[in-house]
Amino acid sequence: MKSRTWTGLAFCSPLIIGLLCFTVLPVVASFWFSLCNYPILEPPRFVGVANYVELARDDRFWHSVRNTFLYVAGAIPLGMVVGLGLALLLNQRVAGIKVFRTLFFLPTVVPLVANSVLWVRLLNPQQGLVNTFLRFLHLPEAWMPGWLSDEHWALPGLVLMSLWGAGGGAVLYVAALQDVPAELFEAAELDGAGPSKRFRHITIPMISPVLLFTGVMGLVGGFQEFARAFVMTKGGPWDSTLFYCLHLFNSAFTEFRLGYASAMAWVLFGIILFATVIVMRSSMKHVQYEQ
Amino acid sequence: MKNHPVRIIGFCALVVLAVLFSLPFIWQISTSLKTEDQVGKAELDLIPRAQVLMVDGSLVEVKPVERKGDLQVVQIKEGPKKGTKVSVNPSQLRLIPHLEWSNYSEGFKAFPFFRMLQNTLTICFLVVIGSVLSCSLSAYGLACVQWKGREALFWAMLATMMLPAQVTMIPLFQTFKGLGWINTILPLVVPAFCGNAFFIFMLRQFYRTIPASFMEAARIDGASDMRIWATVVLPLSKAALSVVAVFTFIAAWNDFLGPLLYLMDDDKYTLAIGLARLQGQYSSDWGRMMAMSVVMTLPLVILFFLAQRTFVEGIKLGGVKG
Repeated sequence: MKSRTWTGLAFCSPLIIGLLCFTVLPVVASFWFSLCNYPILEPPRFVGVANYVELARDDRFWHSVRNTFLYVAGAIPLGMVVGLGLALLLNQRVAGIKVFRTLFFLPTVVPLVANSVLWVRLLNPQQGLVNTFLRFLHLPEAWMPGWLSDEHWALPGLVLMSLWGAGGGAVLYVAALQDVPAELFEAAELDGAGPSKRFRHITIPMISPVLLFTGVMGLVGGFQEFARAFVMTKGGPWDSTLFYCLHLFNSAFTEFRLGYASAMAWVLFGIILFATVIVMRSSMKHVQYEQ
Repeated sequence: MKNHPVRIIGFCALVVLAVLFSLPFIWQISTSLKTEDQVGKAELDLIPRAQVLMVDGSLVEVKPVERKGDLQVVQIKEGPKKGTKVSVNPSQLRLIPHLEWSNYSEGFKAFPFFRMLQNTLTICFLVVIGSVLSCSLSAYGLACVQWKGREALFWAMLATMMLPAQVTMIPLFQTFKGLGWINTILPLVVPAFCGNAFFIFMLRQFYRTIPASFMEAARIDGASDMRIWATVVLPLSKAALSVVAVFTFIAAWNDFLGPLLYLMDDDKYTLAIGLARLQGQYSSDWGRMMAMSVVMTLPLVILFFLAQRTFVEGIKLGGVKG
């Protein structure tokens, strides 16, 4: 039926044009750029894998990789633990549960830039709410974290900020928890399994697909972290929050090294693919999918 | 329901966490309503207050200027003696609850707020229209029309979903520059009219659940595919389309990288860029910055309360917001 082919193509034309113009062609061009010396004003000149070789020797590049890994390794697991904790609390049958759910979810609605502007102040070492709260708990002044102005505390500061959004994951976990058949818990209880055993052997395996999903999405998002560092710290102090994509952006649009930045983009794609596959495979053994 | 101790502990934990999670909001709003001299005080006092002094039998708001020995020099901020400075004993000064709305009015003046709001809304509106149209048309082509090659197209689309935007960013920037689209909204809007893999995927899954008999019946009545799409499929997929609309709106409202790359002038900026620039310029003016961040957050909070269901559906469908 030839006419159906034309109909299908016509309906899919936005997608086809979009894939070609905004994905396939730019991907090819980007790969070509990554093999070129391309200082924005001159035409690209082929240099082979020189950009990739230079990346491997660039200390700032490795520093940005390290920062991003540290951030992801802190923010993703902690976010999942807090999210799961919230979800378990939200899964109780108590009064006003909808109000609580809304309160925990609301921080994820705050626009990224507004959120950044807010947290720069919350994390201010002298007058910010976080340290004011720590003083209220009578913590000694010497222990007060310098957060965004201290190179050792800047990343933990951003991790703390990310935890405020843990309610987004919690919404997913609550939905998954509610799908766990109650008979499983009843049967386990009859067999004498205590709450911690039931949690380990029923709850966690039953919601593991959702945990995996949020983990992978968090990972992919974490490696693309950009706006927050750009608005809040500009990568400082002392490059301690120089995230991968911030370094990439700077290479492209402040140093105008388009070839080098393109090579970074491809390495990023590689890292994301690799990390995702690792997470998926190591979790396959533990993740339970329903038949 | 029995009041088991575990249940009581659980409820208390909920209350404590709810307070912790709402504190940043409360602090943000309270700071946005504080006077300049009260903002800097590192106290856990969330009620905005102002210093007042009894002058000629009435309380007037004052602003501390400097300290002279035991005396405090203050400037009177209202009333017939506005602007004059007086030295007073600190014990004469009192703090009363007071909402400083000028942070908002000054903030609106500090940057062309309404212009930026208009720019942002224009982009959001076009992105929503473009995405809803292009995604639902493409999803119809993938789900409801039998044709050779649709599986290949579907898999090609899925393959692009893992690709980070950074890979295509530089060639696209160069292309848009070549087209003369820099400093226009075109680079931010036109791609929305060319579909989005994630939402097309979502809509395709949904369209496949629509019984084929619905469409067959319309076809027998002589309806064209366009008609079937418009009169059968669209009305049935209102919920899914509102997920697309709400989340593309949020993405466009929040987008930072796009406007940062493509918009150059103050009068073309979106709110996200405007606020980020303000952050650089007025970093010490906390009240004003908090006021402006409240203003940028409020529309999304309102949207959230109007479309809570859609939000939860969207989050469940794929954590659109990273």
